[in-house]
Amino acid sequence: MTTSPLQTAGRFVGQSVKRKEDPRLVTGHGRYVDDVTVPGMLHAAFLRSDVARGRITRLDVAAARECSGVHAVLTAADLNDRPAGPMLPSMFADGSQGISAPVRPLADGDVRFVGDPIALVVADSRYVAEDACELIEVEYEPLTAVVDFERAADDTENLVHPELGSNIASTMATPPDAALDEALSRAAHVVTETFYQQRQTPTPMETRGIVAHWDPYAAALRVWMSSQNPHEVRRTCARILGVAESRVRVVQQDVGGGFGQKYFMPRDEMTVVLASHLLGRPVKWIEDRRENLLSSNHARRDRATVTVGVDADGRIVGARIEHLEDSGAYANGGTGGTGMFVAMMFPGPYRIPRLGWSTTAVWTNTCGRGAYRGPWMMETVAREEMMDVVARAIGLDPLEFRRRNVIGRDELPYATASGMVYEHVSPSETLEQAASLIDYDGFRSRQAEARANGRYLGVGLGLYIEPQAGMGALGVEAANVRVEPDGTVNVFVGSGSHGQSLETTVAQVVAEHLGVDIDAVAVHQGDTDVAPFGGGTGGSRSGPILSPAARQAALEVRDKAIRIAAHLMEAAPDDLEIDGGVISVRGTPARSTTLAQVATTAYQQSDLLPPGMEPGLEVISRYKAPPVMYSNACHACTCEVDAATGHVTLTRYVVSEDCGVMINPMVVEGQIAGGVVQGIGGVLYEQIVYDDEGNPLTTTFLDYLVPTAAEVPVIEYGHVETPAATPGGYKGMGEGGAIGSVPAVFNAVADALAPLGARVNRLPLGPSEVLAAIEAAPAR
Amino acid sequence: MKPAPFEYHAPESVDDVAGLLAEHGDEAKPLAGGQSLVPMLALRLTRFAHLVDLNRVAALRGVSRDNGSLTVRAMTTQAAVERDAEVARAVPLLARATPLIGHFQIRNRGTVGGSLAHADPASEYPAVALALDATFELVSKSGTTRVAASDFFEGTWQTCIDAQQALVAVHFPVWGGRCGFACEEVARRAGDFALAGAVAAIEVDDAGAVRRAAVGLFGLGPTPLRAHAAEAELIGEPPPTPDGYRALGQLAMRDADPVDDVHASASYRRRVGAHLVARTLASAVEEARQAHDPPGAARAR
Repeated sequence: MTTSPLQTAGRFVGQSVKRKEDPRLVTGHGRYVDDVTVPGMLHAAFLRSDVARGRITRLDVAAARECSGVHAVLTAADLNDRPAGPMLPSMFADGSQGISAPVRPLADGDVRFVGDPIALVVADSRYVAEDACELIEVEYEPLTAVVDFERAADDTENLVHPELGSNIASTMATPPDAALDEALSRAAHVVTETFYQQRQTPTPMETRGIVAHWDPYAAALRVWMSSQNPHEVRRTCARILGVAESRVRVVQQDVGGGFGQKYFMPRDEMTVVLASHLLGRPVKWIEDRRENLLSSNHARRDRATVTVGVDADGRIVGARIEHLEDSGAYANGGTGGTGMFVAMMFPGPYRIPRLGWSTTAVWTNTCGRGAYRGPWMMETVAREEMMDVVARAIGLDPLEFRRRNVIGRDELPYATASGMVYEHVSPSETLEQAASLIDYDGFRSRQAEARANGRYLGVGLGLYIEPQAGMGALGVEAANVRVEPDGTVNVFVGSGSHGQSLETTVAQVVAEHLGVDIDAVAVHQGDTDVAPFGGGTGGSRSGPILSPAARQAALEVRDKAIRIAAHLMEAAPDDLEIDGGVISVRGTPARSTTLAQVATTAYQQSDLLPPGMEPGLEVISRYKAPPVMYSNACHACTCEVDAATGHVTLTRYVVSEDCGVMINPMVVEGQIAGGVVQGIGGVLYEQIVYDDEGNPLTTTFLDYLVPTAAEVPVIEYGHVETPAATPGGYKGMGEGGAIGSVPAVFNAVADALAPLGARVNRLPLGPSEVLAAIEAAPAR
Repeated sequence: MKPAPFEYHAPESVDDVAGLLAEHGDEAKPLAGGQSLVPMLALRLTRFAHLVDLNRVAALRGVSRDNGSLTVRAMTTQAAVERDAEVARAVPLLARATPLIGHFQIRNRGTVGGSLAHADPASEYPAVALALDATFELVSKSGTTRVAASDFFEGTWQTCIDAQQALVAVHFPVWGGRCGFACEEVARRAGDFALAGAVAAIEVDDAGAVRRAAVGLFGLGPTPLRAHAAEAELIGEPPPTPDGYRALGQLAMRDADPVDDVHASASYRRRVGAHLVARTLASAVEEARQAHDPPGAARAR
């Protein structure tokens, strides 16, 4: 449901064009990494640690090696001296981004989490490989595991990584701020609360997987991988094998979701590449669901203690956030730490004149932390949950408290206390639109009636500003627009879709600006031999950074086509237009030629081109984005809590989104919906649980619960359109749905529980936790 | 997640099933709908050298009614039970419990016998069978044995079926008179195993007093349970007040023995179990009092 008329709809841009990828995907004909078969291909399975921390006292692979159909059983002794460079993401490989966990292919002498790979069996089939894993004899001397992330920093006896000398992965803080202390001491109200977000994992529908084929005769590596970032995979493979990047070809086909888990090249995939290099054979490893839940990257697991000072008018005078995060044992990318972003984005859409912060990341003997859609979202979770806590404490409605503090359009550009400068955002407008769409005032009166009848309804808001990473390696994208001699268009892009519909949205942008029909445009992605170098899909960056590159390339191709046509037609270029692949004199459609004729001329009749013009009709354009861009949105949700069972039913869900110019509103709404479902899961269902010894208790979908269609209400959408000051005006919004939904749902439940005196500050809010909060409420 | 090697057998008669089980003993496992066994094999949580697939044994499918009982043969799918008008008339509780099992895709494969023989204490059918005093028919090479539901469930995933035996049918008594039935559960998501659940069957006399009461609990102990104390409290009495139902719910929890797991605490299960017992009893009693129809014709909802 789209409520606002779009300001900028073009012929293709701004239209809900049907997705080009859907016919093959919805009929089950997508091609994923497990569909790849290479002659002579072998299958790999990992033997993984089943203790969280311990010394390996015995490792005997003899029986496994003798198993029929087994080609190799590789251990640290076989593989760990093979990497020619750091097994880290490229942006962390030089150490400049801080301390990283000491990543090796396989556990060497000790294990550091349940799931730590100890051996890799390579066999004729996955069945045989798993049979052989059972024949490996391994014994441990168990050591005390560091499991509780709140106590890890103080534990100097039990170290997750003894090489690093401490369980503190990183720590940062603002210097003492007398002005902040002064502001808080003079505030009419000062409220402090601690919030927890639980450990989760992204659970893409397609698990991770790779086929790696080192051909010793060609001295070349070919990789098919379920990835968000094929060029990063190519860089990493070249680094760990010590070969030239030009000898490595990485192909990313259809990808069944990544959500951050597939942004960097994970350790297991690197180990498979090393194994293929050692054996000279193609090796396939497809992560199974148990491995995905056990040893792919986990995410979230944060604590934030927030103090907010408010004046007598309900205006925030200053705030402090102390943040702690759990990096696990092998965080995917450095420490996995997002703390600085948590601190920087904490002010969000509000006027917070002074801010103090500290953030610490700790190692634990658990699965490593990695990116997951909105990796720094604890800033919004803690802030938005705190807004409701403060509002209740000072006797204001949470909507009114937000109204008094939200940044208005007339205050832009607005520099936050953490140094972010917002422009072209509309937090106040999205707040009002969401409140209106959910009928906030009407709900409050229905809520009061329901309470009188012993029913507990609640409403929650989640207002946030979503940054899009444009720094460093993340700031550039490329598109190669090539008109073929028949006038059809191939577009090769650096960034590749793992569900974001780039195959459609890039085609819309190119069709719009080149002047061809969308069916004439084919978008190619994910093959490093043909795609221009790109930064991968992640950080909500492909829409705002790749699209301007595609737009610019299309405009330049269009300009060249017009100049060729003008020369052929003996017309002035300014008088010509292109529409549907036909180039004609404006106002005189009979005087026309076609893009096909122009392209044929460009490639095959170059003598007919304007003097001095380079033949061909093809442009590669690279776009360098501003370091940060911002979109914004407001989520609003209503729920009913069954006070007898603790069961929460979501009744309505509304999102007001401002991502600037929408290329495809249906795709935008699809991205929002997917994120909202993940946020609902994050509040009501999902939790990775370890026992005190570091044993994971949630290794199947029977234990790790993701929401299904039955648990999700209809999601309603509103749009505000504030174009970015970039070519096309597009903004990224891929992660926000997962960010705003967590506090919106949490706040709705907390609002429903408020009249019972029940206080909640931890996620998730399963029925057991809700009922426990009701039981713990002080007697009324 | 690939199972350890096994040999697959696909017999077409009950005799052949019994023969294979006699031959392979505890190295063999009957395969029914596979909705629990296959994932457990794939995770290598269990392994058997021989799988005896019952899906081709036509004689193991179907429902029939005779002499006051409804016979459900073991390989009748949950989906078939869900759609069967005779089941809804004769054993309404069985019909009403069925939609709470998993998702429709699971019920298309899952079978009555498989669910009962698997004996997950949080699943619906074992509690229904126990509450209604169903009889289990087991076949082995040495003959047929009938076992009362009260003797069938021995522990979590454990029944009295021995390695030579196959469950071939379950006989549910058909309740006559003015009857009412209810089944309710609380699960994390639609289709999940229950955190706690209760079934109730009630018959009232002409004066509206409770003549017969059966309360089954699931998700509230290592096996499905009967709330005998609560049943005894009801019989011969007029319909309870709302407070009375709440007290019966509490009383029923004397027979419960729930555990903590990642989804809910034991104390949560007790509290919700009491609530569900009260709700199912109130609903079943009310339905029984409204019933004027002849025996076995209680309306399906």
